[in-house]
Amino acid sequence: MARKKMMSEGGGGHGGDMDLKPFINFLIVLVPVLMLSAEFAKISIITLKLPENRGSQTTTAQQTPPLNSEDDKLMLTMIVTDSVVTLGAKGGFLPSMWYKEFHRYVSSTNKEDVVMWEFNPVKPDDRPICKETGKPFKVGERQDILLEVTDENRNIQKCMYLKKDGKMITDESFLPITSVSPGQTVYVLCNPRKSIQVTNPADFELRNLNAYDEMKNRLMKVKDRFKEASDANDVIIAAEDQVAYDKIVQLMDIAREADFPNISIAKLRS
Amino acid sequence: MITRGRGKSIPKSTGLIITSLIDYFSIVVIYLMKSYSAEGSILTNSDNLVLPNSNAKTTPKDVNIQIAVTSDMVLVDNKPIVPTEDVRKIPSTDPDPTVTKLKERLEKAYVQEQEMVKLGASNSVTGTITIQIDKNVPFDVLFKIMNTCGKVGYNNMNFAVLSREE
Repeated sequence: MARKKMMSEGGGGHGGDMDLKPFINFLIVLVPVLMLSAEFAKISIITLKLPENRGSQTTTAQQTPPLNSEDDKLMLTMIVTDSVVTLGAKGGFLPSMWYKEFHRYVSSTNKEDVVMWEFNPVKPDDRPICKETGKPFKVGERQDILLEVTDENRNIQKCMYLKKDGKMITDESFLPITSVSPGQTVYVLCNPRKSIQVTNPADFELRNLNAYDEMKNRLMKVKDRFKEASDANDVIIAAEDQVAYDKIVQLMDIAREADFPNISIAKLRS
Repeated sequence: MITRGRGKSIPKSTGLIITSLIDYFSIVVIYLMKSYSAEGSILTNSDNLVLPNSNAKTTPKDVNIQIAVTSDMVLVDNKPIVPTEDVRKIPSTDPDPTVTKLKERLEKAYVQEQEMVKLGASNSVTGTITIQIDKNVPFDVLFKIMNTCGKVGYNNMNFAVLSREE
């Protein structure tokens, strides 16, 4: 009786005796259900089609005449070796982009132990020493590969980047720029290209030029100039034997972002 | 007995304070709902196979035959076929490098797909294959495996990658 009285009184302003038990039960059941169907690492796919009924792609490459002056084919090719990436087409090659390769290793036992390490292509099996174990890092602990553009003398080149989203800044003719002044019109590397007026130079910062960004920039320049080519959507990625698969995927990514959806893969014979 | 608890004493009947617990559950539920996927995952992933990150957005739709290449083994549908070291040993000067054991296994699968078409279980042999490769595997291995797949008739290759978080 006393309890009943209290319930009817308590319903008013104070404390609130709303019965939340069923709601909590519901939430407790809902959490495992959602956990079962949650997707924490989202896997997607990159589709690649080989020409049909031709057997292996090596035979295809041999069958296709590489130079045919009659048609307007571009035969755009991205070339990746252990120290250079470049872009070539039927008519010739753009200047080579030398790069320095930096690997970011994260220890599998201690996530705090992160090492940034410059890769030496002459000694490909060298790896930095993990502080905790005192042994070199394993290959599987390599998390990221960064490529930074250098000149022939191995001096790292710089370029302006947007501070906000880390996008590369170029001038009108697709050249990377190293300084901005208020009032200047610059272009942000994204597809489609976007021009912005510099109002505050503090929005920009000078960073080491990323080889993938510069490659994307060059691809977009080529796309812009050779829209009318019959294979304007095609690009071939030619790589050397020891190039890591990760780099190939990054290159496929930028090719797609720069509007070259038909990607083929070829092997660079050394 | 029943005190109108303003200040000094809290009424006994208030029981557990569960507001914070409900807050916590609501946040967890919202987070899990965000990562909810109706499809479930078609691809299985093993420990020493780290897929590269990519901006690709296409999600895998059909279940195809699956090749996984880790740093030490090549697996077809989760069964080990040939050590990756053996693939690496095939001379790279070979104009048509073929991984023999893998080829035999894929040919078997291809024949099976053709049988399925004869029986009417599927419409046509699509020749689609899903390839999962560890991101630290060299291009050389990738090339030899692609060449082998192409030879057997698997011309549509889907490379599995991890989507970057937006």
